[in-house]
Amino acid sequence: MNKKMNYVTFIMAGIRNKPGRNLATVFCFAFIAANIFSGQFLLSGAVGGVERGISRMGADHIVVPVQYLITTGYTGGASTGAIVSVNPSVFRVNKSIMDITGNISGVAETSPQLYILTLELPELSSSPVSIFGIDPDSDFTIQPWLQQPLNAPLKRGEVIIGKDIDREVLSSISVKNHTYTVAGRLDSTQSAADTTIYMGMDDAYVLAAAEGVVSRTVSPILPGDISAVFVRDSPGENPDTVGSRLRKAFSSSDSAGKIAVINRHFTLTPVSHDIQDIPALLLIISAFVILAALPLIALIAAMVAHERQREIGLLKAMGAQRKVVFFLVIAESLVLAATGGIAGVSVSLIAFSLANMQGLLNSALQVSFRMPAPADIGQMAGLALFAVIAIGSVSSLWPAYRSSTMNPYDAIRLNRG
Amino acid sequence: MIQVSGVTKAFSSKNSEVLAVDKAYMEVKKGEFVLILGRSGSGKSTLLGMLAGLIHPSSGSIRFEGVDLSGLPEDKIAALRAEKIGFVFQFSGLIPTITALENVLLPTLFYHDGPGNRSRAAELLKKVGMSEREDAYPHTLSSGEMKRVAIARALINNPSLLIADEPTSDLDADTEYEIMELFGQLNREGMTIVMVTHNPDLISYATRTYGMTRGKLVKNTASFSDKEEDMGKPKIIGP
Repeated sequence: MNKKMNYVTFIMAGIRNKPGRNLATVFCFAFIAANIFSGQFLLSGAVGGVERGISRMGADHIVVPVQYLITTGYTGGASTGAIVSVNPSVFRVNKSIMDITGNISGVAETSPQLYILTLELPELSSSPVSIFGIDPDSDFTIQPWLQQPLNAPLKRGEVIIGKDIDREVLSSISVKNHTYTVAGRLDSTQSAADTTIYMGMDDAYVLAAAEGVVSRTVSPILPGDISAVFVRDSPGENPDTVGSRLRKAFSSSDSAGKIAVINRHFTLTPVSHDIQDIPALLLIISAFVILAALPLIALIAAMVAHERQREIGLLKAMGAQRKVVFFLVIAESLVLAATGGIAGVSVSLIAFSLANMQGLLNSALQVSFRMPAPADIGQMAGLALFAVIAIGSVSSLWPAYRSSTMNPYDAIRLNRG
Repeated sequence: MIQVSGVTKAFSSKNSEVLAVDKAYMEVKKGEFVLILGRSGSGKSTLLGMLAGLIHPSSGSIRFEGVDLSGLPEDKIAALRAEKIGFVFQFSGLIPTITALENVLLPTLFYHDGPGNRSRAAELLKKVGMSEREDAYPHTLSSGEMKRVAIARALINNPSLLIADEPTSDLDADTEYEIMELFGQLNREGMTIVMVTHNPDLISYATRTYGMTRGKLVKNTASFSDKEEDMGKPKIIGP
């Protein structure tokens, strides 16, 4: 029982009068809001994931044996996988090249990695597992990906495993009769690092020396061998300039012609390729949805206003001024738009949260999806709501104008019920 | 209270022009119960629409409490209507989506919106004998009940003039009597009423009567005097 009478009561009563049609209108607004919100949300999450990846990788250059370019099919940009784990390559150089890299102006940090082997370990992963050696003290590419920071620096007999290696922290892993304790586990990198085991260089050399680890068709791994050196520039340095200095330094050294310097390519493939396609696609879909919905909603608003001519005529006969009638028609549309907008955003957010918990967004987008910050979600939701409210307002402008200017006498006489 | 001076209203219709009201002169004084008698289509509802400012006259003037309505912009007339004129339509004119009480309160959205409205609406519903049905929706009410609610709604802003357009046309005799008694009571309490009807039996309630035939308004008409075949037919002029 409602004892109050105000504009809200009147508007809500009008909406309740046609539940089916208004529900369809709300659904229409919800669809638009969900579309706009989803586009921003997915894009933000995908970009956030890549940005986190870039910030975690931290390397501006990789210094590798020149054969690496051929064996990994390098074509100008370093992939996420290459930067994090170095694509497997049996070619090696001596770690003495780190002396050169460390002395280049603009270089802040250097860290070596050594690829040992890739083998089938079905008890650990359905995919082949790679084994890499890292220098835990200088490493800045792998350990930032740890799900939890290590309790202590990585010691001998301890390893860090990729996300898809089926072992928990503190459990044991056996590789070629060598047993290691899992000291830490990485987040998803969406790269080969997810199925890689990282160990200290000392352990790596011991493992590499074991029987059957390194194929006899390639040169054995000797202490001091490394597969690559990761280089991080000092803050503010231009990576292209530092890369040129590195190349110049190696070209005039004993390693001339043996070493290649790969600059980090910000257009990271294949991850960024997928993301780059998202905005254009979403923009097209959003534009299509809005263009299709706008006349539809305008038609519904016009239909509602036409059906309620008599009612509007009565209001004017009772003394409702034109601005009041205009406001009532617009307000009804706004209530429907806001309701639909909130519903669309809420359902989308819940669906994406559940999908993200199940890891579905990572696999669907082929990137490491990162939930946007609450403030960003609020901003996106606000934008989606603003968009549907704007659509609701624009689409009901003409019906509102027609209603406000109609002759009340004609409206009442022609629509007697 | 109201002075109608030479008011004419013509409606265009295809190749001809229909003269709904033809040079009408009329005066309504405060506290009067003016009855305008006429058949359907005689132009009486058009005249009422002009008195309420819902229709602009083609010529002539209507002064309400000294103010010429034709000189006022639409919103000013709407404000005047909200404050000073209560309108009871031929049909109930209730909004179907809100209760009887809310219907009565509806005009307060446009004037007098205040905390006392709720009690005044309940009081008016009691006055028209509908206090038990204040939470009922219009579709659950009989024609007579709807008309009573419409009368209560017309009175909610305490208007100085009540205009009623054939308020008893679709009611049975008993209900018509009850409604007319209610109008009589309101008039005795000081309410100025202008009502149109086609029922000459209601003349006894009026303090002044007019007859309307083919757009012509005639003063002090006690019954229809025109020839039967002319009743209610509008006058067609030109071309």
